[in-house]
Amino acid sequence: MKELNILYLYPDILELYGDFGNIQVLKYRLEKRAIKANVTPYSIGNDAPNFSDYDLVFAGGGADQEQGILSKDLVNYKENIKEAINNGVFFLLICGAYQLFGKYYKDAEGDIIPGLSIFDYYTEALNDRKKRCIGNIVLNCNLNGKETKVIGFENHGGQTFDIEAPFGDVLYGNGNKFGDTKEGFFLKNVIATYLHGPLLSKNPDVSDYIIKYCLDRKYNEDIVLEPLDDTFENLCRKQLLDRFLKAENN
Amino acid sequence: MRNFFIILIMKILHLGLKICGKNGGNFLGKIAYKWNSKIFKYFKINSPIIAVTATNGKTMTNNAIGYALKQAGKKVVSNAEGNNMETGILSTFLKNCTLFGKIKADYIVLEVDEGYVPVVFKDLPLDTLVVLDFFRDQLDRNGEVESLILKINEFLKTYNGNLVLNNDDPNVARLGLANPNNENVYYFSVEKYEYATKEQKEAGEGKFCPFCNTRLEYEYYQYSHIGKFKCPNCNYGDNEIYKLATDVNLKARTFKVDDVTYKIRFNSIYNIYNLTAVITVLSLYNIDTNIVKEALSKFKLDNGRLEELNIKNVPTIINLAKNPTGSNVSLRILNEDDDEKELLFVLNDNIADGFDVSWIWDINFDNLNNVSRIITSGTRAYDIAIRIKTSGFDASKIEPYLNLHEAVKNLYKTDVKKYVIANYTSLQPTRKEILEINKEK
Repeated sequence: MKELNILYLYPDILELYGDFGNIQVLKYRLEKRAIKANVTPYSIGNDAPNFSDYDLVFAGGGADQEQGILSKDLVNYKENIKEAINNGVFFLLICGAYQLFGKYYKDAEGDIIPGLSIFDYYTEALNDRKKRCIGNIVLNCNLNGKETKVIGFENHGGQTFDIEAPFGDVLYGNGNKFGDTKEGFFLKNVIATYLHGPLLSKNPDVSDYIIKYCLDRKYNEDIVLEPLDDTFENLCRKQLLDRFLKAENN
Repeated sequence: MRNFFIILIMKILHLGLKICGKNGGNFLGKIAYKWNSKIFKYFKINSPIIAVTATNGKTMTNNAIGYALKQAGKKVVSNAEGNNMETGILSTFLKNCTLFGKIKADYIVLEVDEGYVPVVFKDLPLDTLVVLDFFRDQLDRNGEVESLILKINEFLKTYNGNLVLNNDDPNVARLGLANPNNENVYYFSVEKYEYATKEQKEAGEGKFCPFCNTRLEYEYYQYSHIGKFKCPNCNYGDNEIYKLATDVNLKARTFKVDDVTYKIRFNSIYNIYNLTAVITVLSLYNIDTNIVKEALSKFKLDNGRLEELNIKNVPTIINLAKNPTGSNVSLRILNEDDDEKELLFVLNDNIADGFDVSWIWDINFDNLNNVSRIITSGTRAYDIAIRIKTSGFDASKIEPYLNLHEAVKNLYKTDVKKYVIANYTSLQPTRKEILEINKEK
């Protein structure tokens, strides 16, 4: 039986916006295809993980205060994480985790919280705490040649700059900054994005891109994934794309 | 003089509304507040004000306190219909005062939105504040829970009145230390109940000590993050308990406080907390225990909050759930019931609900007990269907309908017991559709 090893970072801290759903969706789509999903949680106080031992690393968004507590812990793994990314391990990073992998985060008071500096982008919060990019969002993404619309929800005060390769073009909503045309950060083996929803719940193409990437890498093949019954997902996508994109055009 | 005329005009408007058969909600308060935002100062109040705030449970607790005081023969002015922001409370005052702003009552009992406590009580004397719980709730509208708590904490720094706090919520109990000189802090707690767990079962807040950032240790969780906790580093949480509920029996719907057995109309652990708060407050005003006992045995709500109905002989339980904890509590009641049942979940994303529906992934749908079919509806019917499917519930037994009328019609195709969970703006329309079924032949 094929299996994928998933490292789930700080499940008890980075868990504010239902991002845990991404793990559930991945697990669901793997198990429906008779592939085992081994999910290993890691949080403060646990034994240090070796990131390269995993096929997929996931981290979500959390509350501001708690995010500060864990950033000090995460910095310890900087080199180990860099190595895993170079080895091709897949990283799915949402919201707070997306920001932590950049150079730094400057908060509303002007204090700088250093990031892992794994990628070159950086994030600055606006002086006014109340000003946040909040709302439904739709992107157009190109995943290894396949175009797909991605639906989610953004809720971030931080404005992210210096993105070389974005995750998608914004069709509806803000993106990396207020009124931006681009959202997130993308490499073959990294999706870093502000999208909650959770991201994978309404975007089976993104889930299957990640699953295929991980299986191809691990088993050195070019797998054709068995199609799943996505009736609810397709109905949901049609309903919401109609609603949001029509609102945009009017 | 100006305030006199504001009240006069509001009285005339109120009369007009009454003639048209309208209640008006917070309409009067909205206009009056616009004319004079300091009008609260003008009211002449000689009775104690009791206020209840929380994320969940405000309406029930507020109404139960008011109900029991009335049963004790007291005259009570209260915003029982749930208008709990400054304009709603102002409306309640305007409807119940004389032209000179005098409010004749023995007690004023108010539920107050958790974000509005400092606003409402800036110019009003507060005698007792009850704080029940803080949960994540509509993050896109309210922001993170922490900023809300800090605002209330700031307000409490100079408050010396009675403070009734749930000692089993680390984010509530911490408020007892906001003003170290306040000698009127009363903690209540509920003893471990049958379905309490060693591990946290549902999403919650308060993982770290608010004073020293150490991870809190829990002896058990009752639901969400409510349970017996302590900070292993600074001992935070170890308070003297003023009222402790014991012998919780949800099947029999009974519990004890100070060796008095209370029989109630609710069957959820979360109601036990609310009603223990009620008992705590009433004891502070020396209300006879027998009267409290009698009042709580009769008290219920008929507005879709754990409302029990018989629809064409099919038992139906409706509950509001506008955030993960509200939903998880409803599912606890469902799972603690072994009968076969069907679930209707209605999810809207209108402005009052919050546009973000990702919180449904914080609802624990794992291992539903004897649920044979699930119907979903509301503007986000498909989102909730995907959520439930992903938790492992058989997709062929999930039926999503965007149209609520169709959903309810299909729900009553069978005569299996129904559980209905609806979020904020979907609750009353759902309740109405269900009551319509009863009218059909």
